[in-house]
Amino acid sequence: MGDDIMSYNGGVALAMKGKECVAIACDKRYGVQNKTIATNFTKIFQYVLFENVSFFLKVQTVSERLRFRTNLYELREQRKLKPLVLYNMLTNLLYERRFGPYFVYALVIGLDPKTGETYVFDSDNIGAISDNVNLATVGTASDYIFGLGELFFKPNMNADELFEATSQALLNGVDRDSASGWGAVVYVVEKDKVTVRELKGRQD
Amino acid sequence: MALASVLGFKSNDAFNRSLRCDKNDDTIDELCPKLNVENISQFITLPPYADPAKYLKMVSDNVDRVKIQFLKGTTTLAFKFRNGVIVAVDSRATAGGFIASGEVKKVIEINPYLLGTMAGGAADCAFWERVLARHCRIYELRNKEKISVAAASKILANMVFEYRGMGLSMGTMIVGWDKRGPGLYMVSDDGERISDNLFSVGSGSIYAYSILDAGYKYEMSTIDAIDLARRAIVHAAHRDAASGNIVRIYHMKETGWEKIEEKDTNDYMYQYREDKTMNF
Repeated sequence: MGDDIMSYNGGVALAMKGKECVAIACDKRYGVQNKTIATNFTKIFQYVLFENVSFFLKVQTVSERLRFRTNLYELREQRKLKPLVLYNMLTNLLYERRFGPYFVYALVIGLDPKTGETYVFDSDNIGAISDNVNLATVGTASDYIFGLGELFFKPNMNADELFEATSQALLNGVDRDSASGWGAVVYVVEKDKVTVRELKGRQD
Repeated sequence: MALASVLGFKSNDAFNRSLRCDKNDDTIDELCPKLNVENISQFITLPPYADPAKYLKMVSDNVDRVKIQFLKGTTTLAFKFRNGVIVAVDSRATAGGFIASGEVKKVIEINPYLLGTMAGGAADCAFWERVLARHCRIYELRNKEKISVAAASKILANMVFEYRGMGLSMGTMIVGWDKRGPGLYMVSDDGERISDNLFSVGSGSIYAYSILDAGYKYEMSTIDAIDLARRAIVHAAHRDAASGNIVRIYHMKETGWEKIEEKDTNDYMYQYREDKTMNF
């Protein structure tokens, strides 16, 4: 498995853009190096939609701390968060721990319901800011999923095509990584609804 | 040839030299020298430094940030029961986290009545078990009878013991049927050689052992034994990240080994979920 902390738990997430829709998908494994402890650990937390992989305890901590900040924001400003604001809050939170970092990689997606504008951002564990990209992957299987993602991605896909592309890229990518897999969950966010689908994957 | 020898014609080619009665064991081996510690450099390229054992130990001890760690990421198992020996293995090869292959043949068919399993370094297992096959064949030719499982496993254990500390990684089970009945020995890279009724080797062995210990009875029928072995590998494939893909099962009988099946573990997992023997 390797002895680096970012692959200690394993796990992977993928986000892809379509036309007025965004999809985020993650695997469901929770394990400690070679040992698989649970197969229902989805790593997607909903704010706008926000995703963490790699180190479970830190995932919970970062997720809870971010939730605290976003709740305060919404109370003070009396309005809902925009995806870009959430992303900047997250990268700020991560950089606060620059010299003793959280062991998480983050992936943020969002959709503006009025304009239909889509956002996909990713971040390393100290809060490096990325552009609004078409496709982003984080986790132990990210190298394998990137290749498949680039292959399946087409600009301006509709929600169904986007779901197919995301799920195929994820499912086939995790089959080459021993630390991720055991099923997958895909969230497709459109202007008026969020569709959650569970995928049947290899259970080994 | 017979006519030539009656007439006293002495030919000097290699075939005729080998036929001559004045040959004894040592001189036959000149044509194909035996692998031993003195002439090892003819067979294997040794590292170009004085004390390979000490130097190579450094590599696995993380000196200078170089660390090559051979982990036995696999699940192999074998057990004796009243109708012979069942051998079952997975087929995944991992290099760190990367799944290098999902179709590795981890059962090495040494000869029609001897099987060896592979755990640890694939190259180490494959090479040494092939050397073992050579020794077994020569034994059979010289002694006109099949080698016993005890002797075969002893040959392997002794060969590997000479390289103790040099970084070989091998956890293999030698399975066979000889005149004493079914034989099962576990041989590992530190020269350990033990015989028992039930073994499992590899990172997934902890999961396989629980399934095997729960269901093992020496008096099992063949169908039950195959089912137990299959379940053990499937459960190990599910929980262990370094095991999975295909399960291969062999049955060692008095007439030699028979390959029972080679199926995808994932299909079995969903089937076991259907009949509630597995939860996920």
